[in-house]
Amino acid sequence: MHFEKVIFGFFIVLALTLNFGFFLGDMDNPEHHHAMELGAALAVSLIATIIKFGDRSQLGAILLATSLVADLQLLVAAFLWAWAVHVAGTGLTSETLASIVSLSGGALLANLVSVTLLVAETITIRR
Amino acid sequence: MNDIVWLTMRRMRTPLILMIIVYSLSVFGMVLIPGQDAAGREVDVGFLDAAYFIAILATTIGLGEMPVAFTHAQRLYAYLILFPNVVAWLYAIGTIISLIVDPQFRAVLARSRFSRRVQRLNRGYYVVCGFGNTGRMIVKGLLRRGISAAVLEREPDTVHSMALDEDFAHLPALAGDVTDRRLLDMAGLDPDLRHCLGVIAITNEDHANLTIAITAKLLRPKLPVLARAETQRVADNMASFGTDLTVDPYSIFAERFLLALNSPVKYLVQDWLISVPGTRLRTELDPPDGRWIVCGVGRFGSRMVRQLERAGMPFTVIDVHPDRVAQQKGSVLGRGTEATTLREAGVESAVGIIAGTGDDIDNLSIVMTARELNPALFVVTRQERPLNDQLFDSSGADLVARRSLIVARRILAIATTPLLPVFLDHLLSQDERFARTVRHRLEAVLEGLSPGLWTIDLAGEWANSIRAATHEDAPVRLRHLTENARLPGAEDLPCVCLLLERGSLRTFLPGHEEKVLEGDRLLFAGRDTARVEMLFALREPTVLVSAATGRPQPRGALMRHFARKRAS
Repeated sequence: MHFEKVIFGFFIVLALTLNFGFFLGDMDNPEHHHAMELGAALAVSLIATIIKFGDRSQLGAILLATSLVADLQLLVAAFLWAWAVHVAGTGLTSETLASIVSLSGGALLANLVSVTLLVAETITIRR
Repeated sequence: MNDIVWLTMRRMRTPLILMIIVYSLSVFGMVLIPGQDAAGREVDVGFLDAAYFIAILATTIGLGEMPVAFTHAQRLYAYLILFPNVVAWLYAIGTIISLIVDPQFRAVLARSRFSRRVQRLNRGYYVVCGFGNTGRMIVKGLLRRGISAAVLEREPDTVHSMALDEDFAHLPALAGDVTDRRLLDMAGLDPDLRHCLGVIAITNEDHANLTIAITAKLLRPKLPVLARAETQRVADNMASFGTDLTVDPYSIFAERFLLALNSPVKYLVQDWLISVPGTRLRTELDPPDGRWIVCGVGRFGSRMVRQLERAGMPFTVIDVHPDRVAQQKGSVLGRGTEATTLREAGVESAVGIIAGTGDDIDNLSIVMTARELNPALFVVTRQERPLNDQLFDSSGADLVARRSLIVARRILAIATTPLLPVFLDHLLSQDERFARTVRHRLEAVLEGLSPGLWTIDLAGEWANSIRAATHEDAPVRLRHLTENARLPGAEDLPCVCLLLERGSLRTFLPGHEEKVLEGDRLLFAGRDTARVEMLFALREPTVLVSAATGRPQPRGALMRHFARKRAS
C-alpha cells in the first residue's frame, strides 16, 4: 500500500461524494441544499485538481481535465449563489437554486468520469 | 513550454493543497460562528463575507472586521486561524519565488526561449557553436550578408554579454554544453528547422568540435558542417566522416605563406578577396629569397618550416627545447628574444624572421630585437591573444598570423559565398597572368578598400527579368547587370564579375558581352553600392528588359498590351 495513492484516491472520491451530497434532493427546494455542502465540494474539488497536477501520462491529462471541468462548474455555481444572495438582493429563489443544482450536477458527472477512470486504471494495473 | 508548466505544477502541488485546506477550513469555521450587530441581534456570517475576510487575513492585508464588528468568540477564532493561514500563504509565495530563482528552472526557461526564437527565425541561419573572438567575427560577418545565426556557447557570461551588444541582442543564444545533442537538435539539427544552412563548430577544444561535427553529420547528413581543427589528427578524423570544411588556422597561414613566397600577386588577390570588406587593401608584399630564421618550432613554427622546405629556402631554427634543436642541424638553443641568440643564428645575413613562439610578448620582443640588428628583415609573427591587436599592428611586422581571424575569414568565405572557393582554386592553378589581370580589374574599381563579395543566383523570382527579356527576344548580357540601371548614361558599377557558372560550365572573368541565362550563378566582387544597384535592377520588373531591348518598357499590364499591339 502506498500512502500517496491513498491520499490521491481519497480526495478524488471525496470530491465525488460531496458533490453528490449537495446534488441530492429536490431541484428547487432550498431546504435540501446547504451552502456548506457546496463550499466543501468546491474546496475538495480544487484540492483534487492540484493533486492531479504533474502527471504527464495520457490518463493523467484526462483526469486533470475532468477535475478542471468540475472546478469550473462548481465555481460558477458558488458565484451564482453569492450573486443572488448578496448582490442582486433577490435572495435564493427557486429558479436560481435550480440552475445552481444543475451546474453541480454537471460537476457530478465530471467527477464520476474521474472516479471511473481511476478505478479502470487500478484494475488494469492489478491485471 | 510544456516543461515549464510541468515543473511549476510539480513544485507548487504541496503548498497549494495546504493553502486550500487551511483556507476552506477557516471559511467554514467562520460561517459557523454567529456574529452580533450593534443592537445585540444575532447576525449570520455568509460565505461571501467569510471568504473575503479570510483572504484579507491570510494575505496580511487586514482591512478590519466585517460585515460588523466581531464578537469575542469570533475574535478568538480569527486569532487562532491567523497563523496557519499566513504561514500557508507565505509558504506558497516562498515556493514560487524559490522556483523562479532556481537554476534548474531558469535553465529550462532559457532553453524554451532559445527554441522559440530559433523557430521564429524566418531567414537562413547558421548554428554557431562557440562564441569567442572567432565566433563573434563570424556572426558579425554573417549578419552583414543577411544571414542569421543561432549561438551555442559554454560560458554563461559570454551569452549574457551578448544581450548588451546591439548587433547580437536579437539573436537566439544559449549557454550550455555545446556538444549536447539536445541543444544541437534545438538549434538546427531538427529536420523541421528548414532555415538552418549549416553548423559552424569553432570552440576552443578540438574534441568538442569533433563531437559537434560527428553529431551533425549523423543526425542531419545533408547539412554542411564547417569546423575548426587545430591538429592534423582531428582534421583527418573529421574529414573521414564527411565534414565539409575543416579549418586548421596555422596550416592555412603556412600555405598562404608559401603562396606569398612563390607568387606575391596571387597572394595579394587572394588576400583581397577573403579579407573583411571595407578594410584597407594591402598593396605590396614581396617576401625575399634567402635564409630565414624561425623562432619556435611548435604547432605554428613546424608548419612554417615545412613550407620553407617546400619552397627550397634555407633556414635556421631557434628553440628552447633541446630535442627540437637536435632535429635540425645548425639550430640554436634559446628563446630568440636576446640579441646573442639571434646573432648566433646569423640574423645579420638572414632575409626574414618568423617569430612563432606561443607567447605574444616574446614574439614582439623577437621582432623588435631582430629589427634592431637587421632593419631590412621581412618579419612574420604569430599572435595568440586578440587583445594584443594594436601592439602587433604597431610592431611593423609584414605578416601577422592571427588565429581567430584566419578561421573567421575562411569559414565566412565558404559560408556566405559558396562560389568563392571555386574561383580561388582556379586562381591558384592558373599562371600569374590571370592573377595580374584580376588584380588590375579589381584595383580599377576598389579605391583602396577591400571588396565585398556577392553571389547572384538567377533562379525563381530573381530570374523574372531574364525571362521577360527572353520573351522579347532580347538576350540579357552581363554588361546590362554591371551598368548603372538608374542612369541612362550607362555608368559602370564598381564591381567585377569573377565567375559565371552555368551547370557544370564555368567561365572565369566573363566578358561584358557574355549572355546571362536563367539558372546561371554569378560571383561578383566590388563595392557595396554596386551590389545594391544590381539587386535593385534584378528586382525591378522592367529595368533589365529596357536595357536589353534598348527601349523603355511599359510597366502596367494595359500599357504592355498596347505596346505589344503596336509592335505587331
